[in-house]
Amino acid sequence: MKELLSKEKWGWLFHTVNHPSDGFYWIRHQEKGSVAIAVLLVILYAAAFSMNRIGAAFIVNDIEPRSVNSVAELFGVLVLFLVICTGNWSVTCLMEGEGRFRDIVTAVGYSLVPMIACTALATVVSQFLAENEEAFYTILMGIGIAWTLLLMLTGIMQVHNYTLGKTLVTLFLTVIAVLIIVFLALLVINFITQVWSFLRSIYTELVFRF
Amino acid sequence: MTKKTRLLLRLLCPALILLLLLPAARADDTLPYDCYNYDHWNNILYTPAPYVPSGSLAGTDYTFRGEPVGAFRTPQDLCVSPDGSLYLADTGNNRVVVFSPDMKTVTNIITGFEENGVAQSFSSPSGVAVSESRRLYIADSQNHRIVILNPDGSFYRYVRDPRSEVLDENYVFTPLKVSVDYADRVYCVAQNMFQGIMVFTAEGDFTGFFGTISVKISLWEKFWRKVSTKEERSKQQLFIPTEFTGIDVDEEGFVYASNKDTDGIQAVRRLNPRGEDVIRRGARENLGGDLVFGSLGNYSGPSQIVDVVYRDHGIYSLLDARRGRVFTYDHEGSLLYIFGGLGTQSGTFRTPAAIEHVGSLLLVLDSQQACVNLFSETEYGSLINRAVALRFSGDEAQAVDLWQQVLRLDENNELANAGIGKAYLSAGDNERALTYLRRGMNRAYYSVAFKRWRNEILRDNIGWVLTAAVVLAALLAVFLRVVRPKLREKKKAKGGTPA
Repeated sequence: MKELLSKEKWGWLFHTVNHPSDGFYWIRHQEKGSVAIAVLLVILYAAAFSMNRIGAAFIVNDIEPRSVNSVAELFGVLVLFLVICTGNWSVTCLMEGEGRFRDIVTAVGYSLVPMIACTALATVVSQFLAENEEAFYTILMGIGIAWTLLLMLTGIMQVHNYTLGKTLVTLFLTVIAVLIIVFLALLVINFITQVWSFLRSIYTELVFRF
Repeated sequence: MTKKTRLLLRLLCPALILLLLLPAARADDTLPYDCYNYDHWNNILYTPAPYVPSGSLAGTDYTFRGEPVGAFRTPQDLCVSPDGSLYLADTGNNRVVVFSPDMKTVTNIITGFEENGVAQSFSSPSGVAVSESRRLYIADSQNHRIVILNPDGSFYRYVRDPRSEVLDENYVFTPLKVSVDYADRVYCVAQNMFQGIMVFTAEGDFTGFFGTISVKISLWEKFWRKVSTKEERSKQQLFIPTEFTGIDVDEEGFVYASNKDTDGIQAVRRLNPRGEDVIRRGARENLGGDLVFGSLGNYSGPSQIVDVVYRDHGIYSLLDARRGRVFTYDHEGSLLYIFGGLGTQSGTFRTPAAIEHVGSLLLVLDSQQACVNLFSETEYGSLINRAVALRFSGDEAQAVDLWQQVLRLDENNELANAGIGKAYLSAGDNERALTYLRRGMNRAYYSVAFKRWRNEILRDNIGWVLTAAVVLAALLAVFLRVVRPKLREKKKAKGGTPA
């Protein structure tokens, strides 16, 4: 938690966004990164995402404000983040990746910075746009996503000390791993509900009988 | 209890009792159906009633030439003549009943006619129409002909036995619904005729099909047809175009035709003289009645539109047999209001079959209850109708007052908000226009208002913004050229040698 106030760590975050190769390399090898900051960034991204859905101007925004549940979206983003990190970790563990779980978390979290900034900026910019000018908004959002994807790619590459080709392969496998995790989670939840309903029916049977 | 509280209670109790005794504020409680509309996101918003039941016409209430008219039997169609008389196709009794324009008396019962001295009768007449020249067109379905009678009741002409190379050799013509335009062209919906509306000239010659609905096959269905064998294909469901169910002709001679639509997307078409659909589908691209419906049971599925009535000023109403509702649209394809329901109470339907309008009244024919339900417009309905009529004729500025009154009754009405917003926009009050257009969810006009508002602000503030920018630039220049070098020198003097 102390890391959240460390000037050095925050400085390294901005260095990483601008110099990803160098930044992520030393995050792995010199403990320059901070898990706490990474998680904070994910929370910030969830907030920016919800704020964009609620607050983007009428011209670019066709989302019903009543349907936006920022708490549910926060948990959704956090769970997705956790699943992606776990998926990547489980794949790279088997593929001689050098990164530890905390490095993956830091890399993914840090690479969200452009997306947070661009989403927030686009939300503000949208307030000044009329029809036919939505391109500015779309381009801003696009830049955020592209930059974040580039950072994530470099981050995973540097943290595991992979080549580009190997990174792409592991990312593809990560997607599959994520799907497997989601499938297993649904399966487990389904089983638990069935066991639960079985126990419940036994209970009601007993209650009605005696 | 202290004296004070007792006194307070004594004063409060009567007030409370009075409050409980007061009738509920919602007038809709007395209606046997729901009145609602959909907002921009397809949420159901309940509205005040646009139309309320105001009685019904049943055969048992009338006499004709001293004899009781008797109950109708499965009547199928209604039509209003140019002079205001109401014609009812009493299908099960093989007759056409004519009501006076005020619907207080039955002025005629047509059970047959004389053709060259031979008495002829009807067999299941299921459609009626009256032309501008007051001729009566009767779709005499089981006699496989359309009978045209002169205004005095004498025989004029048949339309029957259409022959054409596009028709099957042994095609049997069974007309169900009929309509006629200003040039006395006859439009007919025939049984099992999937190719479109049949069109006949004033002389009764078949000229062709009209408004054919092309079959849509999805890519997925195409794929399955490709991979299945001939034998399998013969057992699959056939791709048949949908059938038309009702027709009406507007004052310009355009044909409004309702059709079955299992997707609930477009249940009505407006056909130009060439038979092309020129209807405007609104922002939602949907003219299918209900937008939200269940998927299980009798009461579910998309609306099943059985008839359409063109009313004045581009307004038309669709009748839904699935849930007994009446959907009213304007010429732009926006839903104005929805009312009606199935049931056995008065004012509800069991098997709605046809819809017509007489003045401000809406008439819905129920074939199972064998009566015509009347609906009169309320203040709310009338305000919307009048405002839309003004907009249709281009007097949007005049409609504002009416839209304001609509908003007093129904704050959420998007059309009213958009209408007021547009008026503010053309009056130059951009800020107000923004508020109302936003509430009316009208993006196009909102954007126009927004651009103007933005320019206004820029114009008003450009003077001092530019001045401030120049001053700031000057200050920056001074800082960079004069102050910073001095600071650096000081630092150099104080600290160690630079690297």
